[in-house]
Amino acid sequence: MHVPLLIIGGGLSGLAAALRTARFVPDVLLLEKHSRIGGLNSYYYRNNRLFETGLHAITNYAPPKVKNAPLNRLLRQLKIKRSELDLHEQNQSEIRFLGRESLLFSNNFSLLESQIADKFPASCQGFLKLKELIEQYDPFKPLPFISAKKILMEHLHDDLLTDMLLCPLMYYGSSIENDMDLGQFVIMFKAIFLEGMFRPGGTIKDLLDLLQKHYTDHGGSIRTQAGVQRILHSGNRIHGVLLSNGEEILCDHILSTIGSEETFALLDKVSGYKILPRLGFVETIFELKEDSTLKHSHDRTIIFFNSADRFSYQQPQTLVDFKSGVICMPQNFQNLPGVPFKEVRTTHLANYSEWQNLQKENNSYSSAKEETALSSLPVAEKILGNFAQNIVYHDTFTPLTIERYTSKINGAIYGNPIKIKNGDIGYDNLYLAGTDQGFLGIIGSMLSGVSIVNQHILPRL
Amino acid sequence: MTRNAIKDLILEIIEDIDEDADFDTLQADKPLRDQLDLDSMDFLDIVMELRKRHKLQIPEEDYPELATLDSCVNYLEPLLADA
Repeated sequence: MHVPLLIIGGGLSGLAAALRTARFVPDVLLLEKHSRIGGLNSYYYRNNRLFETGLHAITNYAPPKVKNAPLNRLLRQLKIKRSELDLHEQNQSEIRFLGRESLLFSNNFSLLESQIADKFPASCQGFLKLKELIEQYDPFKPLPFISAKKILMEHLHDDLLTDMLLCPLMYYGSSIENDMDLGQFVIMFKAIFLEGMFRPGGTIKDLLDLLQKHYTDHGGSIRTQAGVQRILHSGNRIHGVLLSNGEEILCDHILSTIGSEETFALLDKVSGYKILPRLGFVETIFELKEDSTLKHSHDRTIIFFNSADRFSYQQPQTLVDFKSGVICMPQNFQNLPGVPFKEVRTTHLANYSEWQNLQKENNSYSSAKEETALSSLPVAEKILGNFAQNIVYHDTFTPLTIERYTSKINGAIYGNPIKIKNGDIGYDNLYLAGTDQGFLGIIGSMLSGVSIVNQHILPRL
Repeated sequence: MTRNAIKDLILEIIEDIDEDADFDTLQADKPLRDQLDLDSMDFLDIVMELRKRHKLQIPEEDYPELATLDSCVNYLEPLLADA
């Protein structure tokens, strides 16, 4: 078998790249190791219902007429109509530093501006200057690391406000500890505060089905349970892949979306990149009785919280760091069509090696998962009021769960802290897209797939 | 293909990329991208559609030839002479 383009990894970046290419060159082949596509944003069934993984809210909301907005560019590139997605904007979200301060924000930026004017009057002018800087900054220009934290402090002169603004941006898209590169900060600030959050009316499965249908309608094919054992190459030239079942597939180009080290492993090569800590997370889904109500903050879409003196975004020494995290209520988007469930989802930073050590002892892994849910519950209840009595089902994912289903090293959802922005890892006809290319989130990862095939592969097919 | 037919082909491709594209004020000797608010990603669609519809393989170094409507017609006229 021979194909012009073979894509490794059926997550959103691989699917978008596959669909983009198949619009013009139909015989693209997408390989997914797992039995289901979606990668980090997928789903599973328990208790006769579908549970989403990954998706809390999609960032980068844009109204239809804003042509250059990432969402609209992506839809044009994939030739998907906006109406096919059925977009629902968030209600409002909150950054809550317990006992200190709270900031509300929504898809209308003036809410955050007025909150800052009220609560941090001394930083108000600085915040406007910061916004100007963000609007003018080109985040795609290759530059050495510039500390976003330092730039925020220079503008705001306030530790608390700096931490509060960084908290959501780090939780939704930083692979590095306790700071962000200014370029990544600008991308995330626009994605979350200036553009905003939304979700589709259906589930993530509907979105994946839609992408798959467009792709196969153009003539592309997908194989699941198709793990790649080796990428066949001589020197810097790729010829094809050897699958785990022994089958060889030849190709002219490869796009790998599985991560940089993960790709080098298939080339029998070590990257030589500096090894930095990879951030792991735990997430617990609490499913609540349909008719139950939450006492406080019941209409919030996402709450990013912190209860420590300074917000710390780093790998904890213990299994989980409950001092900060994200609470998501996926039913809280505007005009969602008949939501048949109510959920509270909590996410915290976790330590992969600690979880791995537990797995070696038989029962302690599952009891630690249970303890994580039990410890996360009062953290959420402190913000939302008691809801333990209304829980009908709960489930917890650890970094090991994510590693098992996505094959991401250490289950680190944001991948390697070192990003390869141009997708070039030193081969003539193999390029990298997805998490380790550096555009994060659902829209970001899809744009990553699209822009890397545009840049390196489509003109040469 | 006549020069007019080539012009229509390009406009049809652009309309397919962006159904809101406004051709009323389009100046044929000015860059398409600035006038129609197209980015480099949209621009690649023109190249790929020409390839899909007319089996034209346009090398990357020739992409600047497609900058304006006039230059598109000049560049494509010999290539589409038999189309």
